[in-house]
Amino acid sequence: MADEIKWEWEINKRTTWLGASLRELYQFKDLLFRLVRKDFLSSYQQTLLGPFWVLLQPILTVLTSVLIFSKIIGVSTDGVPPLLYYLAGITLWNLFSEIFLATAVTFTQNAQVFSKVYFPRIIVPLSVVMLSGLRFLIQLLLLFIALMYYYFTGDISLPGSIILLAIPVVIATAGIGLGAGLIFSIFTAKYRDFLGLLQIILRLLMFVCPIFYPMSIVPQKLKWIMSLNPLSTQFELFRYAVLGKGLFTTGEVLYSMSFMVILVAGGLLLFNKIGDKLIDVV
Amino acid sequence: MSDTMIQIDNISKLYRLGTIGSGSLRRDLHQWWKSRVIKKDDPFFKPGQSADNISAEGNYLWALRNISFEIKEGEVCGIVGKNGAGKSTLLKVLSRITRPTEGRVRGRGKISSLLEIGTGFHSELTGRENIFISGSMLGMKKAEIRKNFDEIVEFSGISQFLDTPVKRYSSGMYVRLAFGVAAHLDPDILIIDEVLAVGDAEFQKKCMGKMKDVSSQKGRTIIFVSHNMQAINNLCTRAIWLQKGTIGCSGDTQTVVNKYLGAFQKKLWKEEWKPNEQAPGNEWIKMLSVELIPQLPDPTAPIDIRTPLTVRFRFQNFNDQINLSTNLVLFSLTGECIFDVPSASADFDKGIIEGECIIPGKFLNDGAYYFSLFFLKDSSRAIFEYEECLHFDVEDYRENINWYDKWVGSVRPHFPFALKEYRNGVYNKVV
Repeated sequence: MADEIKWEWEINKRTTWLGASLRELYQFKDLLFRLVRKDFLSSYQQTLLGPFWVLLQPILTVLTSVLIFSKIIGVSTDGVPPLLYYLAGITLWNLFSEIFLATAVTFTQNAQVFSKVYFPRIIVPLSVVMLSGLRFLIQLLLLFIALMYYYFTGDISLPGSIILLAIPVVIATAGIGLGAGLIFSIFTAKYRDFLGLLQIILRLLMFVCPIFYPMSIVPQKLKWIMSLNPLSTQFELFRYAVLGKGLFTTGEVLYSMSFMVILVAGGLLLFNKIGDKLIDVV
Repeated sequence: MSDTMIQIDNISKLYRLGTIGSGSLRRDLHQWWKSRVIKKDDPFFKPGQSADNISAEGNYLWALRNISFEIKEGEVCGIVGKNGAGKSTLLKVLSRITRPTEGRVRGRGKISSLLEIGTGFHSELTGRENIFISGSMLGMKKAEIRKNFDEIVEFSGISQFLDTPVKRYSSGMYVRLAFGVAAHLDPDILIIDEVLAVGDAEFQKKCMGKMKDVSSQKGRTIIFVSHNMQAINNLCTRAIWLQKGTIGCSGDTQTVVNKYLGAFQKKLWKEEWKPNEQAPGNEWIKMLSVELIPQLPDPTAPIDIRTPLTVRFRFQNFNDQINLSTNLVLFSLTGECIFDVPSASADFDKGIIEGECIIPGKFLNDGAYYFSLFFLKDSSRAIFEYEECLHFDVEDYRENINWYDKWVGSVRPHFPFALKEYRNGVYNKVV
């Protein structure tokens, strides 16, 4: 009798590595866009400047870093105007750090909702990626304006078709942020210690990324540390694409890209497999 | 004719008690090592062994244990049980929020769950935004929300405040908006957890009406947890009583509700004193027994408002040639007097006297009551007052009434009451 019934779904104790099917994810696409909209709107509620913060934040950071790294310490910027140089680095860094930070707290931040309603949990990190991508595009506009300014003052020449290289670089950077964030989200859900660790990791990572200095000034002896960080190569590649200045080897590029692929795949698999059980321990 | 929508197949859910996290990493690894690597059965994961649902070690709790049942299309299944019986856990398993430790659930169709009022609401955002956020979280498509938008706004009555952040809403407005969204869900299976406990009476009525529509007109399958037995009685076609994580009883709503209520009603409505025992009394009178005898259709059923009650008491009279009468005085638990009924007075000699008073069914309102016995000499002078002889509860029972709130009034008598229709110069009785 029971065998005649065509079941459409089943809930059991096994969780899957692959998680929700693409078809199921597609059914939740409205929720995905809604979450992006919600996060965007809610982060600027009751602020004077509203969405202008998206631009204000990098502007302030760049001005501070120009003052400190260029004017006071005097770090070389490979002959590129410091403002442009730092702006490129910070724009990319913001993309990474936003995605990493927000996805790493997926479970702790959404425990309330997750305990009351079902939807594929991966929707939340995906919405983070989309929102951060959106903010990145807005900040890119700023970079473009700066680029134009220095082009007309004659300080730099515009990049050619090499600028298309920036697209895979941006995807790879976002991927590293997402993959690492997903893996971290599992740990922060269970052990709150990792929440504190997040900030420290981000700060340390920021210093071992060539954001405020070029790879070319790193002493040969210490270069391996920098190369170990898959993000370093992405920053050099990004600046190479946009500003025409960057130092990287084919090996480093391959390492960084494969690191990204493994991290994203591993992050997604773990998130699906373990994340589904986490609601009982968050 | 009706097909199974959900089949719950032997599910169990184990929770670990106490703090999770600090200091448990070692144990986590240990457990993982044992269960996954050397494939030895985890000592804790063996359902269906001890009778109690807390394991011997005291660190684990079986919130659900070997639960199996099926729900057919169009059925409205009520789930009753005390706090901590596993009702919410069951709903969480069914709505895919948490995984069962053992067993499986299979089903057909789209399932939506309403475990909380205002799921996903963001307090900083406007009512308008929140309708869309909550709607999509509960599984509605954007187009669906658009289509129902006006209806949701009308249902919740917040049209003026649509563009105000919900944090400025009164709690009533918030709840109305939240339920307004939820009421327009259109899944094949709807899971509802005690959301009717909020809001004012009028709003509750609106919600219940909506639920009734959904089940009767659209033929949706509903699983419904509530502590409101009237709601369960009226909405559900069947019920399940969960008891410490297992199914205590399942079947026709009325039977299950009766058993459930009956189990918690005090069944001992009798007090008796042996002749040499210290019994209430004085130099005039000494109590021998007092007893409440409900006329129940079956002994497991609870006393409800339809039940006729007999109060029978015996006492020793120590005086010859005395004119005695007794008053039976009924009080609600709050101390409000419901009635004071005197017996006929008569002359008695020394000996044992029995009194019996019948309170008809369909007279008392639901609630908790106690009664007192006052003994009078010559119908005027109180010679003994036996206060709070017996306590008892009267459960509610309603048929064909769409009103689920507390019925007001001290009593709920059935008086002849008819409405007549004026037609062709005469008043005709309608019913």
